[in-house]
Amino acid sequence: MPRLNKRSSYFVLLLPAFIIYLAIIIFPIFMSLGLSFTEWRRFRMTGFIGLQNYADILSDPVFHRSLWNNIQIMLISVLGQIPLGILLAYLLHRKWVKGTKFFEFMIFLPITISSVVIALLWNRVFSPVGIYTTFVRMITSNPDYVVKIFESEKYAMLPVLVVLLWQHTSLYMVIFLANLQRIPNSVFEAAVIDGAKESTIITKIVLPALSPVIFTCSVLAISGSLKSFDLVYAMTAGGPVNYTYVMALYLYQHTFTFHNYGKGSAVSIIIVILSVGLISLVRGIYAKAQKKFE
Amino acid sequence: MKKIALFALVLVLSMSFATAAGTKEAAKDGKVILTAYMQIDPANDQYAGHNAVMAAFAEKYPNIQLDIEYASGEAFHQKFQSMAASKKIPDVFTCYGGARTAYVTETGLALDISPYIDDAFKAQFASATWLPQGSAGVLYMIPPSFAVCHSIYANTAILNKLGLRYPETFEELVAQIPTIRAAGYYPMSMGNKDPWVVNSWLLGTFIERFGGREWILKAAKGEASFTDEPFVKALEVIQAMSKEGLFSPGVNQMSNTEADQEFYQQKSVYLIDAAWRTSAMDSQLPEAQRKAIDMRVFPALPGEKYHNTSSATASEGFGIAKAVEKDQAKLDAALAFIKFYAGEEGASIRAQFGEVPSYNLDLNKFSVDVMQGKFVEFSATYPMGYVFDSIMDGEGVNLLNTDIQAMMMGSGNPKDIAAKYEAWVAKNDSNRD
Repeated sequence: MPRLNKRSSYFVLLLPAFIIYLAIIIFPIFMSLGLSFTEWRRFRMTGFIGLQNYADILSDPVFHRSLWNNIQIMLISVLGQIPLGILLAYLLHRKWVKGTKFFEFMIFLPITISSVVIALLWNRVFSPVGIYTTFVRMITSNPDYVVKIFESEKYAMLPVLVVLLWQHTSLYMVIFLANLQRIPNSVFEAAVIDGAKESTIITKIVLPALSPVIFTCSVLAISGSLKSFDLVYAMTAGGPVNYTYVMALYLYQHTFTFHNYGKGSAVSIIIVILSVGLISLVRGIYAKAQKKFE
Repeated sequence: MKKIALFALVLVLSMSFATAAGTKEAAKDGKVILTAYMQIDPANDQYAGHNAVMAAFAEKYPNIQLDIEYASGEAFHQKFQSMAASKKIPDVFTCYGGARTAYVTETGLALDISPYIDDAFKAQFASATWLPQGSAGVLYMIPPSFAVCHSIYANTAILNKLGLRYPETFEELVAQIPTIRAAGYYPMSMGNKDPWVVNSWLLGTFIERFGGREWILKAAKGEASFTDEPFVKALEVIQAMSKEGLFSPGVNQMSNTEADQEFYQQKSVYLIDAAWRTSAMDSQLPEAQRKAIDMRVFPALPGEKYHNTSSATASEGFGIAKAVEKDQAKLDAALAFIKFYAGEEGASIRAQFGEVPSYNLDLNKFSVDVMQGKFVEFSATYPMGYVFDSIMDGEGVNLLNTDIQAMMMGSGNPKDIAAKYEAWVAKNDSNRD
């Protein structure tokens, strides 16, 4: 049997992984793309309708709200969880607080709990029969007290965002802490001896060293934000009204409740396009930032 | 390494052969094996009657073996939809008469059982059992009972303490609010966090009271409009209930379970819930409290044409896969099972556990728990109307539900909601195809 050359060997070795990648990533995306141009009624595909599903989705106020809520989740993830994660990791790394192990454990705890359990816990506290509500009713002698923010069209998303911030910051903290530990202590010591201020250490040493990790975390945060589902579903199910709807819930409902597989597929394609677009944007920003640091 | 791999391969193959041999053995025993997928939680007290029926069936038909997979809630439907998509469904399965399991009934996967049900068998059931199912108007299952979706539970101990009685009219109910609130109670518990609740448990009943069954069927087909009086008036009553402060604070944040708990803890006088809540009350509440709970229907509405109605829909039953028709032994076994379950033997067993079967039984000869007894009486006393969301398409109903929820929170009005819903139905609802 003739020996394969080096190039052919690479192809042969990559082939199984490539086939699996095609089957579970590329094929479903193209399948969804195809389905997104179809109409479904009574559980049957009734025809090709071109871009009608996209037009319906993009003109639906519920989708607009879902998109805005996803943007809020993305903002709280990228501009909230990641900076807070860096800050907490830095505080613990520089040992500015006593009992760092205890704090590491306590801060990391929320990410180990299932989102459904977290949602149930928060509901138990703040629902109309929850502990907090009952306590406030008792001390204010106001039997009609409820946490009104949950019914506010403008602010109903806020409790979900707070829970997301609390739950996911810990993951980023652990990632940043692990990467901070890779920077030799002598670097920090030398900077302090040279009279560098803390802000200088952060901007000139820590952030450049962490920039590849920040980029990776941003990608994770953006893709995670756009497909947010479990916590929102368990905490509010998108309600009241549609105030806390997100795109994944919109997709789920149209696909699995209303059996409109065409519309559901179109939503999934929109999510893919948004993810790829935003991640490319972050990649561009990262490339520029890297040049600046160099 | 080669030896380990060879050993693993032999082990896997021998296990496969052993399993395959097991199945063949069972078939050689003369047993007919049916695969089944049921939306039931056998560990839940609510299904004690089901478990007893299954045991009785196994005893009477030792030659029929049901290999059952149980699932409940949304998980049941998600898996079943996947099965339906792959066209591989079990021989026997939980099936709804309406659109809930349309992914099997509307796709040709479920068998139309009407040719196998004769008139003599049909005559033994309440006539509503045989209402046509699905868009083809055939029969996919025998409803073993009816799901009664509207009931008002009244705590008569509190009513007596306050010198009140169950109101005859809506105005009387509203007039009770100041007395109830002054005594530190909430008038009515209802959990509308999931917005289908107000639709399933109130809206259908109210529309029926104003328009009757004929009107909703006409409106569904487009011969009447949802902007007509019966629909708008029904929405106005729901709006009035919110404005007058009948519901507990935070009704749209409160889950069903939380509303039940509020009533069980005697913080409220009335509870709006489905009639199947009686089994939970029997298992959770002390006898004295249960005895003090009355099961009634909503008081008379101003201008209603039909009085004292509740709403009910045929409950889910067991359907048979169309593919089973090709195997006579399997078909006979599956038909034997569904007839046993819904028929006299299954109905008698289920009645002992407080279920009101669709099969005509003299329920007085059964000894049941306090609340189940009240449910039996309730079912016999009040005429049953339709459940709105079992008639109309889910997507439109969902749109309507969220608008009603917004209205209950002070945004939107009945006429606009009705107009928006009519526009959606005219354009999209399958009833108007």
